[in-house]
Amino acid sequence: MVNTWSWIFWLGAVLIGLWSTRNPVYLGLIFFILIIVWHLVKTGIEKENFEAGPPVPISPLKISLLIILFSAVFNGLISQYGKTVIFTLPAWITYLGGPFTLEGLVFGTINGLILSGILLAFFVVNLALPVHSLVRLIPPAFDNLAVIISIAITFMPNTIRQLDQIRESQAIRGHRVRGLRDWIPLVMPLLVGGLEKAIGLAEAMTARGFTHSEPNGSNKNLRISQVFGLALIFSGWLLQFISSSGTFGKGMIGLGLGLIIFSLWIIGRRTPRSIYRPEKWNGYDFGVILISIIVISVYWLPLLHLDRRSLFYNPYPAMTFPAVDPMVIFITLGLLAPGILIRFQGGSEYSSVEPKPEDDHF
Amino acid sequence: MYPDKKSNNLISILIYCLTTLIGLLAFTYPLIFPAFNQPDNNPIPRLAEMPLMMTLLLGICLIVLLYEVQGQSVDAKLIALLGLLVSINAALRFLEVAIPGPGGFSPIFFLIVLTGYVFGGRFGFLMGSMTILISALLTGGIGPWLPGQMFAAGWVGMSAPLCRPVVRIIGGEGRFREVIVLAVFGGVWGFLYGALLNLWSWPYITGPANQYWEQGISWLDTLNRYSIYYLVTSLLWDLARAAGNFLFILLFGEPVLRALRRFRSKFSFQYEIPQADLAAENSQG
Repeated sequence: MVNTWSWIFWLGAVLIGLWSTRNPVYLGLIFFILIIVWHLVKTGIEKENFEAGPPVPISPLKISLLIILFSAVFNGLISQYGKTVIFTLPAWITYLGGPFTLEGLVFGTINGLILSGILLAFFVVNLALPVHSLVRLIPPAFDNLAVIISIAITFMPNTIRQLDQIRESQAIRGHRVRGLRDWIPLVMPLLVGGLEKAIGLAEAMTARGFTHSEPNGSNKNLRISQVFGLALIFSGWLLQFISSSGTFGKGMIGLGLGLIIFSLWIIGRRTPRSIYRPEKWNGYDFGVILISIIVISVYWLPLLHLDRRSLFYNPYPAMTFPAVDPMVIFITLGLLAPGILIRFQGGSEYSSVEPKPEDDHF
Repeated sequence: MYPDKKSNNLISILIYCLTTLIGLLAFTYPLIFPAFNQPDNNPIPRLAEMPLMMTLLLGICLIVLLYEVQGQSVDAKLIALLGLLVSINAALRFLEVAIPGPGGFSPIFFLIVLTGYVFGGRFGFLMGSMTILISALLTGGIGPWLPGQMFAAGWVGMSAPLCRPVVRIIGGEGRFREVIVLAVFGGVWGFLYGALLNLWSWPYITGPANQYWEQGISWLDTLNRYSIYYLVTSLLWDLARAAGNFLFILLFGEPVLRALRRFRSKFSFQYEIPQADLAAENSQG
């Protein structure tokens, strides 16, 4: 399977692609790639018995297509602006009466493609990554939060089982859930039982040497840098509204982000962390990361020899065919990489269901 | 108060204020944005940046705030308590995903409000944001909307202690009046939560001219359009959430508050070495 960090970079590249362009050709291509990757991940998981993320109750493909269809038709009906009229609805229909234009339809489709693309990208990552892989991503600086999350995830199946047991016990006593008030005999034992369990757990943790973690006071200088980072982000963001290019504001936001990430990285380095089963890396994982960085650069950076004007497109007032750069299309196709890897690469020891890897010990 | 403690508190206050301010501005981005004249006269690239900026700003504020909150005297007792309470609340959300209630109804908010009220704003913030995170991890709900949801749910818990002065003024501590104040508070957040989270997708949704987002109109006009959009599309949905919060707190408030207060005293003890033992240890040293 593909490494978690490779998936994160891939997700970043897809989102930046979707957020940076309004060209329907590029957006359609990214959407098509997402469908292929989703299908390859799904069949790969079923075929190789990989450990996957939580099941999703509704088909993401159906949701995405519905969003695009709804957005396109609704915008076509509502906007009533544009030169290429497809048909005209009678004026007596409130809000909808008027010309239904091709430009309105295309504008709505673009909005739908962006929204459904974002949804589909997260569906793919949710499907590809098991919960423990996501928990591993918590930075070391957040050691206390990681323990809270680990406790909550570990106790969750137990909590659901306990709720079932309470429900059965109350049913034996003749209790039936008819209204909201009847939930009290179910919720209260669950809550009190959970609180009792928390006392036992706290005692066990203390007995095993989990005591007070390092208080924030010991990282005073780093916290001050976080305050400066936040102030820079705030000022840079305000500058974006009033400046003509927004470059200076973006620079300040970037500097603020850098300060905050750096301070958290330093704090994380001071926090000991043991990983008993490290996730494997191979050349293909680095390949996915490299491809993702190239895609991000194409959509985000003003690279030489690349005409970024084709990224921007507005169908109003008269529809024209969007400009297309073959280089952008070729590089965007690289987003297929993780799906192809899952299709052709065998499962590793880490990623198969048996044996299950242990959680990190924070 | 020692100078070191004073400066630490000042840093904390600054972090709370800045993250709240940036978070609030990030949420209301679509309301503020159109009022500014875009000199490049090309709003479309800026419009495309908006959700990215909102997610980025909310995400970074959430990270800084979570770090600040988790480092404030969180010991084994509170970590275990929070972990178990989040697990219970996430189980309730899990049930909600399996058996959806009417509209925006969700059973998770009553516990966030009540724990925030009893254990304090920091605990409430962690309870709210962690509940959303855990349930998203377990139900495949991770997406760009997650920082916004975590932030808003965290605010629900963080703002719950604001009810304390109101309860004190009406002399309702330990009485049913206290539960009514909390129920009204939960009801108001039922609407606010929906109104804040709608803003993320509103600029992309088209609709009648008096309801949808447009570049270059005044701040008041944008607010007016959003209010109409909210009344037409979301009010009924959010009404189910608000009514659910109100009823849940009204019905469960009294016994849950009693249980939480009983356990608060169990959890708030500190290990202290007796003075005699300390003196003996010092003399030996």
